[in-house]
Amino acid sequence: MQTWDDRQPIYQQLADILAAQLLDGEPSEGAAMPSVRALAGRYLLNPLTVNRALQALGDEGVLENRRGMGLYVTAGARERLRVAERERFLHSEWPRLRERLRRLGIGAEQLNWEAR
Amino acid sequence: MNADDNTMLVQAKGLSVRYGAKRAVDDVSFNIPKGRVVGLLGHNGAGKTTLMKALVGLATAEGELAVLGLNPRRQRVQLLEQACYIPDVAILPRWARVEDLITMMSALHPRFSAERARALLRRTSVGLSDKVKTLSKGMVVQAHLALIAAIDAKLMILDEPTLGLDVLSRKAFYEMLIDEWCDGERSVLISTHQVEEIESLLSDVLMLNEGKLVLSISLEDMERRFVGVSHDAAVAEQIAAAHPLLRYRTGTGPAGNAAIFDGAPPEHVQALGQRMRPSLVDLFVALTRKPELDRTHF
Repeated sequence: MQTWDDRQPIYQQLADILAAQLLDGEPSEGAAMPSVRALAGRYLLNPLTVNRALQALGDEGVLENRRGMGLYVTAGARERLRVAERERFLHSEWPRLRERLRRLGIGAEQLNWEAR
Repeated sequence: MNADDNTMLVQAKGLSVRYGAKRAVDDVSFNIPKGRVVGLLGHNGAGKTTLMKALVGLATAEGELAVLGLNPRRQRVQLLEQACYIPDVAILPRWARVEDLITMMSALHPRFSAERARALLRRTSVGLSDKVKTLSKGMVVQAHLALIAAIDAKLMILDEPTLGLDVLSRKAFYEMLIDEWCDGERSVLISTHQVEEIESLLSDVLMLNEGKLVLSISLEDMERRFVGVSHDAAVAEQIAAAHPLLRYRTGTGPAGNAAIFDGAPPEHVQALGQRMRPSLVDLFVALTRKPELDRTHF
């Protein structure tokens, strides 16, 4: 079963999972999002929690409500997510990573920058 | 859960159930609105089964109780048209084939849909011509849920439905419940000991301890009201001085210790560690522990 950690509210963790999938083009821009019930069944979540996650993605401009048809992925959703993700990396992940690299004495030249 | 008469499926006020001198359920008040998944938690003997029996008119209760606006004891037949119940001792007749059960339910229950039962069973590995006695425990519970969920009802009451099932069967059970039952209108009250696993399914929780309701709250409000702080052993005394509900070792993460507060602790206490989401199972331990199991002294 999907496990949820204690650091963040569950709806936020679901929003992060869905955002990561949207970044990979799943579903693609302009396509419909799976229904609340489908997501609730897939992740074994209360539908209210799923609603909150979708609401959060809507607030980020990634999803839009088409009247009577449900939620769709907006045009430019991936770019928006990428920008937000980059911001998050540069402001919260990178400082911690830099600190760790410094402690371990690892310089940029020692890191393999080529994809294997 | 606020009290709006039109949307309340269950209204209980000052509800008690006595067995001789003992109060199995002791002065309990709560409401269940529509569209909710309510977890009923408590140790063995806390009164979960008795409370559920009272809701479907199988136990005589004192106090006020309306289920779907009806008196469960006096209007039981009417009530069971719109409320379905799987007791903890539920069994299906071993000699019957699944399709016999569908025929039987069609004859017994005015709001049962044979078509829907067959559709629900197609989700499972249970075949219509299978005899109950050839099914695994997990399959029997799946079949039972399919039969009950095929009743066009407003409230489902499940007493430890996943007891004794392996993890895959439990997952399949919860999937069917969420997917096929929860439509935003119908509600379900479900009791279980698998607190960790059911937390994410719930919208609300009722916690019983020795017959008394120690918590009745939505999960959303629970996250606001109770604050978890994970911290190092070094600041344990300062955390303890702030009177948390519960202190425990987490066993994971660098901090290794955690405390749960009812209401946000003062800033200087929060600053001693990192805020975390209090999990339902930790809260359950905090609110229903017995004195001799007091985990605050370790």
